[in-house]
Amino acid sequence: MKALTEIFGKLLEKIRGVDYIDEATLQELSREIQRTLLKADVPLDLVKSFTENAVKRIKEEKPPAGIPPREYLIYVLYEELVKLLGGEQPAEFKPTKKPYIVLLLGVEGSGKTTTAAKLAKYLAKRGYKVGLVETDTIRPAAFDQLRQLAEKIGVPFYGERDGKDAVEIAKRGVQNFKNMDVIIVDTAGRHRNEEALLKEVRAIYDAVSPDEVVLVIDATVGKMAAAQAEAFMKYLPIHSVIITKMDSTARGGGALAAVAKTGAKVKFIGVGEDVDEFEQFSPRKFVARVLGM
Amino acid sequence: TLSEKDVDALTSDLYIDLVESDVAVEVADAVVEELRKRLVGIKVPRFGDKNAVIKKAVFEALMGVIDDVPDVDFYQDSKRLLNETRPVVVMFLGPNGYGKTTTLAKLAFNLQEMGFRVVAAAADTFRAGAREQLEEHGKRVGFKVISGPYGADPASVAYDALQHAKARGYHFVLIDTAGRMHTDANLMEELRKIQRVTEPHYSIFVFDAQLGNEALEIAKYYSKYVKIDGMIATKVDAYPKGGSILTFIYVLKRPVYFLGVGQTYRDLVKFSKQEYIGQLLA
Ligand SMILES: Nc1nc2c(ncn2[C@@H]2O[C@H](COP(=O)(O)OP(=O)(O)OP(=O)(O)O)[C@@H](O)[C@H]2O)c(=O)[nH]1
Ligand SMILES: Nc1nc2c(ncn2[C@@H]2O[C@H](COP(=O)(O)OP(=O)(O)OP(=O)(O)O)[C@@H](O)[C@H]2O)c(=O)[nH]1
Ligand SMILES: [K+]
Ligand SMILES: [Mg+2]
Ligand SMILES: [Mg+2]
Repeated sequence: MKALTEIFGKLLEKIRGVDYIDEATLQELSREIQRTLLKADVPLDLVKSFTENAVKRIKEEKPPAGIPPREYLIYVLYEELVKLLGGEQPAEFKPTKKPYIVLLLGVEGSGKTTTAAKLAKYLAKRGYKVGLVETDTIRPAAFDQLRQLAEKIGVPFYGERDGKDAVEIAKRGVQNFKNMDVIIVDTAGRHRNEEALLKEVRAIYDAVSPDEVVLVIDATVGKMAAAQAEAFMKYLPIHSVIITKMDSTARGGGALAAVAKTGAKVKFIGVGEDVDEFEQFSPRKFVARVLGM
Repeated sequence: TLSEKDVDALTSDLYIDLVESDVAVEVADAVVEELRKRLVGIKVPRFGDKNAVIKKAVFEALMGVIDDVPDVDFYQDSKRLLNETRPVVVMFLGPNGYGKTTTLAKLAFNLQEMGFRVVAAAADTFRAGAREQLEEHGKRVGFKVISGPYGADPASVAYDALQHAKARGYHFVLIDTAGRMHTDANLMEELRKIQRVTEPHYSIFVFDAQLGNEALEIAKYYSKYVKIDGMIATKVDAYPKGGSILTFIYVLKRPVYFLGVGQTYRDLVKFSKQEYIGQLLA
């Protein structure tokens, strides 16, 4: 509890000065928390269910001895949010077979191609043989982008410069790297209203049977993060999430809602454009950020 | 007339709608406060179509809140400018991946359709594939691209393009810049330098319509470092309501010239406050 008290210090300071929680204080406190969460891009329905749940729990459960009720309320909220992310334990990225095929999925410009290279470098550093495949036939020079990144990190690359059929490129890319430990397949950006592209990524999924589908989410996106995840899930399963652009000041409630929707685990965050600006996801740190601490 | 109590109920519903549509919380606060003033005392019929009257009042009040930012027709405006000066310099700037390069290519396509000659500067000398991306657009649309090697000073690439355009009588110079996070002070300084060297007539801030509350932070930081003349929202095809559009208009007080509504060259449409506010309230 000591460490938590430290994390929540700032918020707690604000609400210090009331000794016990009466109904009115509880109301005011929960309003303040709601506003904090709204500013963090957490959708209203989640905001409401979180604060209601936290208030209910604090009324039912007696805070442990020595813990002020206010502090306990924040702790409860923190717990709920961490639970939503699948617990405090960071989720590991663990290739469980060979080759382990990873498919990256996401909205235009969310950071997939950059993330493909970051993940490849992360794995190569840990001794895995990794191949990178570019299947984006829509964005001009997507081929050059990933090829240049692959060269920079010293990982083999497969792509077809003037390719037209993403599904066929994906198949050939995976075939080409069948002796690797991990194959990372990058895809073109697409969104919830682009039906033909959603069907295309389903076809890629069917063609290469990925072991892990990773949704790449831009931390600066608001409500659309969850809406996009929901649309994607109608076409293919989502196993894990990587949140990019965490070097912004965005608090990540949009991504949080998307994670809640998918039930997937977040594995990494991107904290800059460089291939090394990539970190393992820490639920604790992330929740503290969402709560504005 | 609408009583204070009616207005309270109305604005509190509206507040929730705005926040749920990603208008930044602080902007929603301010907007609703202004709306409140505009709505109190408005006459509504006791019977009949009360809702329609209220709806119209809310629409007009919201339009009133962004009254000081006119719709600007970029084509007309820049054509007028072409009578006085040539080339017209247009710079694209904004955070990573929001659509600058694609939007530049769309604008180049449209300007060329109107008969103008366009040269582009590949002043993103940083991101992998950035140069090839712009050059490929140039090939497809048929505009000239001036590039430098990766790692070159972006301001000097932009300056070269400007000289090239002057020498050969091009109408427009479109400068593509690298995406950058507002939190990176060095990169923001670099952007300021490109602006100082090329003195663009139009510095266009490009943003993703799907942005949430971070739009407010981005607006604050960007306007601290660079001059912004107008804006373009992209990926509106994914999110026509996109509340970040209101956030940016309200905070930056700059017109939105266009909306990006898809990935083809024709997917650049003129922005209209009226249509947008209609979408937002729909
Ligand atoms: N600041 C910052 N920029 C990032 C991060 N991840 C990616 N980017 C940048 O975001 C922009 C878009 O990244 P891409 O990797 O091209 O995104 P994408 O999802 O592949 O884009 P499409 O293929 O067009 O859909 C580039 O400028 C990247 O350098 C990050 O964690 N932080
Ligand atoms: N659906 C849709 N996609 C768009 C739109 N505008 C841009 N895109 C896509 O968004 C992605 C990123 O666009 P870019 O033009 O590369 O973005 P950028 O701002 O130049 O990115 P950086 O230079 O890396 O910062 C590409 O896949 C584009 O096709 C739009 O209006 N609608
Ligand atoms: K960039
Ligand atoms: Mg890509
Ligand atoms: Mg670009």
